[in-house]
Amino acid sequence: MIVYEDVAHAYAQAPSLRGVTLRVPDAATTALIGPSGCGKSTLLKLAVGLVWPMRGSVTVDGERLTTENIRRIRHRIGYVIQSGGLFPHLTAKDNVTLAARYLRRDRAWIDARVAELLEIVQLPFELLDRYPGELSGGQRQRVSLMRALMLEPEVLLLDEPLGALDPMVRFGLQEDLKSLFARLRKSVLLVTHDLAEAAFFSNRIVLMHEGRIVQEGSYRDLVERPANEFVRTFLRAQRVTPDA
Amino acid sequence: MLLMILATSASAREVIVGSKVFTESVILAELATQLLDARGIETVHRRELGGTSVLWSGMLRGDIDCYPEYTGTLRGEVLASKSLQSDAQLREALAQMGVWASGSLGFDNTYVLGMRKDVAQRLSIVRMSDLAQHPELRFGFSNEFMRRADGWPGVKQAYGLPQSDVRGMQHDLAYRALVSGAIDVTDLYATDAEIAHYDLFALPDDRRFFPNYDAIFVCRSSVAEDVKQVLQSLENAIDAQTMAGLNAQAKLDRLDERYVAQRFAVERFDVTTSAGLDTRMSRIWQRTREHLGMVAVSLVAAIVIAVPLGIAAYRNRNVARVAFAIADVLQTVPALALLVFLIPWLGIGYGPAIAALFLYSLLPILRNTHAGLADIGRDLRESAEALGLSPAAQLRYIELPLAARSIIAGIRTAAVINIGTATLGALIGAGGYGQPILAGIRLDDLGLILEGAIPAALLALLAQGLFGVLERRLVKAK
Repeated sequence: MIVYEDVAHAYAQAPSLRGVTLRVPDAATTALIGPSGCGKSTLLKLAVGLVWPMRGSVTVDGERLTTENIRRIRHRIGYVIQSGGLFPHLTAKDNVTLAARYLRRDRAWIDARVAELLEIVQLPFELLDRYPGELSGGQRQRVSLMRALMLEPEVLLLDEPLGALDPMVRFGLQEDLKSLFARLRKSVLLVTHDLAEAAFFSNRIVLMHEGRIVQEGSYRDLVERPANEFVRTFLRAQRVTPDA
Repeated sequence: MLLMILATSASAREVIVGSKVFTESVILAELATQLLDARGIETVHRRELGGTSVLWSGMLRGDIDCYPEYTGTLRGEVLASKSLQSDAQLREALAQMGVWASGSLGFDNTYVLGMRKDVAQRLSIVRMSDLAQHPELRFGFSNEFMRRADGWPGVKQAYGLPQSDVRGMQHDLAYRALVSGAIDVTDLYATDAEIAHYDLFALPDDRRFFPNYDAIFVCRSSVAEDVKQVLQSLENAIDAQTMAGLNAQAKLDRLDERYVAQRFAVERFDVTTSAGLDTRMSRIWQRTREHLGMVAVSLVAAIVIAVPLGIAAYRNRNVARVAFAIADVLQTVPALALLVFLIPWLGIGYGPAIAALFLYSLLPILRNTHAGLADIGRDLRESAEALGLSPAAQLRYIELPLAARSIIAGIRTAAVINIGTATLGALIGAGGYGQPILAGIRLDDLGLILEGAIPAALLALLAQGLFGVLERRLVKAK
């Protein structure tokens, strides 16, 4: 479980979070949604120590993040970004196993885990020896997901993992991911700017605006009981109306 | 029958000329060897056998027949007990020992005191006795000169010199100290190649304190008459300035002593001799080794310094600012000026050449290391960090491999620049491909110029190609 307690953050004078309190429960998917610059990606980066709060705290399973414990905690969190973040000079397999090799995990364990993950993300074995540049966009995201899952993390942070894919590929991957989340029972925090996608993955949607959480609830809650004018505008922009 | 064999072996026995372990002795012996050879007298040169005592006793034993010597050395060291005054007395004493001596070859390689020309002019010092008017002058003498009776103790007494700041130091260091202005006066030999190179002024010995060190040839008296005749043809053939020039060709231009002697034989005696020179290929190979040595040592040192510095600059903006400021300034200093600046600290030869090449290699490698690392996208840097890799592991597995293309390109640039710049090393006696180019320009010899220029160009192309291969093998990203 990740707990954000009154977290504030700013990038070089421009505030990105103005006091956010949020619980990300275990074994469930939480969808973070909002317009660009609302602070949703920053919230993810806070959980892996890529940025640090100026106020408030972030705890993972009751442990408050510090520069001392962050590296250990990163090994328990899988992080996937929109571009995939695969290292172009390493093969798919080397990308996936890099952290495990760095931690000197047993080779047999690594091979078994890779085989298991191939099945989970439904990738053919032959692709493992390819470099990221030789893979399609959808394949890259699947490899990136394998890398995030390699060390059996309890938490998955996904920052618009499907944002760069074309609609058909995206549709297939959405289905696969949803069943994968249900099977693995991980704590998932998913950032998206697409309300339909958020609703597809989760019945707990967190809508953010200008560094604050403006509403939390199911898709139906948002549509039927919008908290304020911004929520109404946001829904209209997504071409979702209360009557729809 | 036996007599016949003895007779033939005796007449076929070649003349053996020896030389001491310094350039001038080697050149003189080589000159004699070539002239004897040109006269049809079979001669070999046993070079650099040792010091005076080795050559002298070797000649008395019959291991060698002749060698170049100095009258002062014979009087003061070999026959010191006899306290011989005139040359005639010396000749007589030698004859009694079975040794024949030629007349002076035309120069007196005695001690002289030398100063920087500009300093001497400023203080209007034109002869040794003028030194007495300047007690503030700092003297730095070779250790041997400090000790010898005909060195500093004698000079001090003979000229009544008042200076108190007098130090003993190594001969080469004394030159550097003199050039950098750390001392004002040092002892030199009259034919030292460095006098011209450093533009020094040799003070005339107006009270004739230093003994004569006229160069002569000494031989066993039993050598054939025509050998003596050839050696006598060298009498008064070489003045001090000429000898200093020949020494400079060998020592500073790094020309083979045999070649120096051969050129002189043609110019002075119009005799074309066979110098038994190394083949062109072996000369080029020798220069390739010198050139590659300079480039490789300086390049490796620059990599060892500039790559970590580039990493530090990437991590810390203040380091970047300072490092780039210094490297940029260094790059703007002309190569020739840099070499000259380095001479007071490192002297001439390999040291300053390598130091200068090292400094020139820093900037391209530093810049490309920094740029290669800074160009890595934020996504990739954050992905590496989010995997829980230590900073060292991020550097090793992610950042350096991703920056490798840029870093190798920087090293390649530095290597190619170095191969070109290293030809200037010849100006300060570091050898390499610049040596034949420089000598060729001075001697107006196109063949010599090409002997340096062509291999230098080929080496630069080769370096380009090799680093290209290296880049393709090391950089895997597709």
